[in-house]
Amino acid sequence: MKQIIGEPGIDLSSDSKMDLKLTRNSESFHKPNSSNHNLNSFNQASQYFPNLSPTNFLSRAENLQQNLKTKSTNSFEPNLNSGMATQNPPLDWDPHAMLSNLSFLEQKIHEVQSLVQSIIDQQAEFSSRPSELATRQQLATADLTCIIIQLISTAGSLLPSIKNTLLSNNPALRQLVNPDFNNNLKCEGLIRNFPETARNSEYEDLLRNLDNEADWMKEPNPPLQSDIVDANPIDEHDLKESDDGDAEREHLPPGSYIVLQLEKEEILAPHTHFCVICGKGFKRDANLRMHMRGHGDEYKTPAALAKPSKEPGSDVHPVTRYSCPFAGCKRNKEHKKFQPLKTILCVKNHYKRSHCDKSYTCSRCHAKKFSVIADLKTHEKHCGRDKWQCSCGTTFSRKDKLFGHVALFQGHTPALPMDEVKASGSGQGNDDMTEDLGGYNGNFASEECLTSMDVKGIDESRAYFSPMNFDGFGALDEFGRGGFDLEDNPFAFIPSGFSQRSGDS
Amino acid sequence: MCDITAVLTVDLLAQVLDWLHDSRDLKSCRLVSRAFLQAERMHRRAIRALRLGPLPVLLRRYVGSLQSLDLSSCPSLDDSALSLSIPCPNNLRSVSLSRATGVTWRGLEVLASVCPRIEAIDISHCVGFGDREAAAVAKACWLKELRIDKCLNVTDVGLAKVAVGCSRLEKLGIKWCFEISDIGIDLLVKKCLELRELDISYLKVGNESLRSIASLSKLEDLALVGCEYIDDEGLYFLSNGNCSLQSIDISRCENVTSVGLTTLAEGQQRLRKINAGNCSPVLTSTFVSKLCTLGDTLIILKLDKLQLLASALEIVGKNCRNLLEIGLSKCNCVNDEGISWLVEGCTHLSTIDLTCCLLVTDKSLLSIATCCRGVKCLRLESCVLISEKGLDQIASCCTDLKEIDLTDCNVNDNALKCLSRCSELLVLKVGLCSGVSDIGLSFIGTNCSKLLELDLYRCTAITDDGLAAISNGCKRLKKLNLCYCNQISDTGLAHLQLEELSDLELRGMVRITSSGITAMAMGCRSLTQLDLKRCYSIDDAGMWALAQYTENLRQLTISYCTVTGLGLCHILGSLRCLQDVKMVHLSWVSIEGFELALRASCGKLKKVKLLGKLQDVLSSELLQTLQSRGCRIRWVNKPLVFKG
Repeated sequence: MKQIIGEPGIDLSSDSKMDLKLTRNSESFHKPNSSNHNLNSFNQASQYFPNLSPTNFLSRAENLQQNLKTKSTNSFEPNLNSGMATQNPPLDWDPHAMLSNLSFLEQKIHEVQSLVQSIIDQQAEFSSRPSELATRQQLATADLTCIIIQLISTAGSLLPSIKNTLLSNNPALRQLVNPDFNNNLKCEGLIRNFPETARNSEYEDLLRNLDNEADWMKEPNPPLQSDIVDANPIDEHDLKESDDGDAEREHLPPGSYIVLQLEKEEILAPHTHFCVICGKGFKRDANLRMHMRGHGDEYKTPAALAKPSKEPGSDVHPVTRYSCPFAGCKRNKEHKKFQPLKTILCVKNHYKRSHCDKSYTCSRCHAKKFSVIADLKTHEKHCGRDKWQCSCGTTFSRKDKLFGHVALFQGHTPALPMDEVKASGSGQGNDDMTEDLGGYNGNFASEECLTSMDVKGIDESRAYFSPMNFDGFGALDEFGRGGFDLEDNPFAFIPSGFSQRSGDS
Repeated sequence: MCDITAVLTVDLLAQVLDWLHDSRDLKSCRLVSRAFLQAERMHRRAIRALRLGPLPVLLRRYVGSLQSLDLSSCPSLDDSALSLSIPCPNNLRSVSLSRATGVTWRGLEVLASVCPRIEAIDISHCVGFGDREAAAVAKACWLKELRIDKCLNVTDVGLAKVAVGCSRLEKLGIKWCFEISDIGIDLLVKKCLELRELDISYLKVGNESLRSIASLSKLEDLALVGCEYIDDEGLYFLSNGNCSLQSIDISRCENVTSVGLTTLAEGQQRLRKINAGNCSPVLTSTFVSKLCTLGDTLIILKLDKLQLLASALEIVGKNCRNLLEIGLSKCNCVNDEGISWLVEGCTHLSTIDLTCCLLVTDKSLLSIATCCRGVKCLRLESCVLISEKGLDQIASCCTDLKEIDLTDCNVNDNALKCLSRCSELLVLKVGLCSGVSDIGLSFIGTNCSKLLELDLYRCTAITDDGLAAISNGCKRLKKLNLCYCNQISDTGLAHLQLEELSDLELRGMVRITSSGITAMAMGCRSLTQLDLKRCYSIDDAGMWALAQYTENLRQLTISYCTVTGLGLCHILGSLRCLQDVKMVHLSWVSIEGFELALRASCGKLKKVKLLGKLQDVLSSELLQTLQSRGCRIRWVNKPLVFKG
């Protein structure tokens, strides 16, 4: 198992534009760097990225837990505890954390010391291989930068008010930013060429990251706690939100991670854990382990049931990101603006959403289709409830949201409900009538009556009482009745007692 | 033969016509000659149609100059009729379709499209209207004035349509549109920044609406009658908002207290009209003292049913010196002392409402007579302690008195004798005053020839002679109430020869018969409303007379009359303006009679009151057609009880 330098170290050193990724040759991966692990637990805030084993299809949450667990079992347990301790008391800084920071620094300094010593020792050998010397030098500089920044951060936790100015204005930091290492782009391994422009923006991002970290340091409740709490209830739905397009947000410098690409069949395989005895497939290793109990007592031992933990020293995985196997996709590693996917789950969801047929249809609206079943479930939760529609076509589940939208955009209006349009579009009168009749005439208008009333009959009756037979009247007679004309009177046959009629005025 | 137009040019005629307001005068003018007709045609800006029939002809004649069209009284108005009625190139600015229940959104869409310059639409009281109708109206984008009161199905969506479509709205009435909520009001306020008048009475909106409304910088007039969810906090928003209100009506807002009124008076210093009647009853002195900061600007103040001490009235009297109208109806604590302090300060008062102020006596009338000589309207219903002495003072000092309400005041003929000196009197109400008799009416008849409205409800002492005196003297009467004056007979009714009478109530006059009705109908040909309930002797002959002579009749109550199916069919079929008929307990009419009569009238009726039992026996097709034409049927289940 390859090992990689812990992210905080990477982030911090890259912040100073050291382009640490360049230093990451295969050699450095092999270097047993337990101190970095120490740093990891110290600075859990930046531990957004679960270290997935490429072969292990565990969810992120499980990984996170696993990480924590492995940490608690290894030699750096006190660090973790001190990290926990910082959450509870509302102190600006925690002496335990400080102590662990300092011991980390001490360790780090020793490391650099030995590194430099080895350069001196092997100077003769290096003369024949200048590139290797340069690599060593770079590594040393990177470690030194890391130490300096760690020092500043630690000091910053003591003096929160000056922390920001320190970080942004410190000329020492600027000087450390040495662009001379660009020559070493030609590193072997998984690292590829990255455009120059990308690096600049990354620099900005990393600076921001650094600030965030510094902020975290004076937070009474560091995110570590919330990570632990959150890790438990995470399910597929929660993950879904962050599974696509996360690389933009995580600001991972290109090259600081391993890129893996799974094949299509692998992605679409329903199960990833198979029983070696009966061949039954499972989505989760934990489920497989539970299943294995049925195959004999040897699978019931606590050791067999426990999560497969790694040996100390090899338990830190390299940061791994995934590439989509679909050529031309932005998530494919060959793409010019490649954006890696974070977890296996991301890969699965991305591949299904973007490159597969949408085979799940909503059972309510029969219109929306999905390729990921979780998406369908989410949609079905809200389907039919998005009844608030704007004239622009956007729908909202809540009226106030729609009205906020309408207020914001010129000319947009709430749309009238579609069924109403239909009803009023095709003989609204009839619909209304039957409805009213039902209300008014409960006993009499039984259901047979309602159904037997055909549209035609109603139309006829309306025509019969149509007001459109206007009577033409004399020019001078505006509002008074022109004359008692008998044709107009349906009861003309009734003998009127008043045959004569005086004039209008 | 001399052509009068040579002397009176069309311009001059138009100027003369400016001064003519009465429709009868205008009609006489039209009938003089073709030139006069032409002048009138060019001068006329507004038409109020009573029937649909002659409307297309009329509109063709007036199309050039006509700006305002009122179709609210038109029976049997539906979409096709509406679209046929309105000529295509027109200058119409204002159309009223109030109570036009037969019209649907299609008709409104046509209206909006053929009247490109329309600025005012009234579709109030079309109870079936909803969002679709509002959306149709919203297509008239130049609209400045819109009334959709009591369009019961209009929701926030409909209001949003209007708000987005008619952003130039200045006046909006959405009274009784119960479905509208804070969200709709908020959007309205964001879209219609020109709003000056807003009526959201009886809406179920809360303080959030007032918070939004307070940001309307041009708002001047706000009505919040009966908004039960609004309280002092809402008024606080209003007082701190951008708007500079001139008039506010917060009557019947149960949760508004003195505190809210005080903050309002503090924040809105340009208020001219305040109606705070029927709010939370206790009124603190702080509010009254804040009112005084409004001082001279305040002209109308209504504090109905609030507990108001004499000291409060004193403060009002001392500070609000320009007050024109004060309403103290049902303020139990108001007494002579308070009134005298009030009128000493507010000498310009023209309307004083003291309805049910039971403590008020002649002393108050005396102080009103001495201080407010310009008083025009005095409402004294149920002020049982007043007598002819006080009224004598009023009559001799306030010669400009136009309206007085003495219902249930136990006044007698002497009081009427005093009041008859007010020759400007237009409205006189002496209902329930059993002391009023023919003698008193003769004074009124002799002197008050301008009288427009007379209420003699249950003045049981009145006989035919009194009615004769009134009919002969007050020829301009428009409204007459003779309910339960059961000494009046056909002879008296025959005296009623009042050309302008439009509203006549004869309920419970057991002595009158069809011949009396016939004589009356021949004399009162402008009748639009007639109440004949419990006139047990009236039969088909009366109906025929009405059908023949009172062709503008719009509302008719004939419950308990002895009309038969034939008479009912005849009157419902013949009267072309009839829209509202109450015909409960017509024992002589068969089911077929009702069926036929309703069929005969079908297109026109908008409201019908029928006995509940008929609901099951009338044909469903008929009821269905009635309802599709926008007719509302009220089924009543009262037992048949004959009362003398």
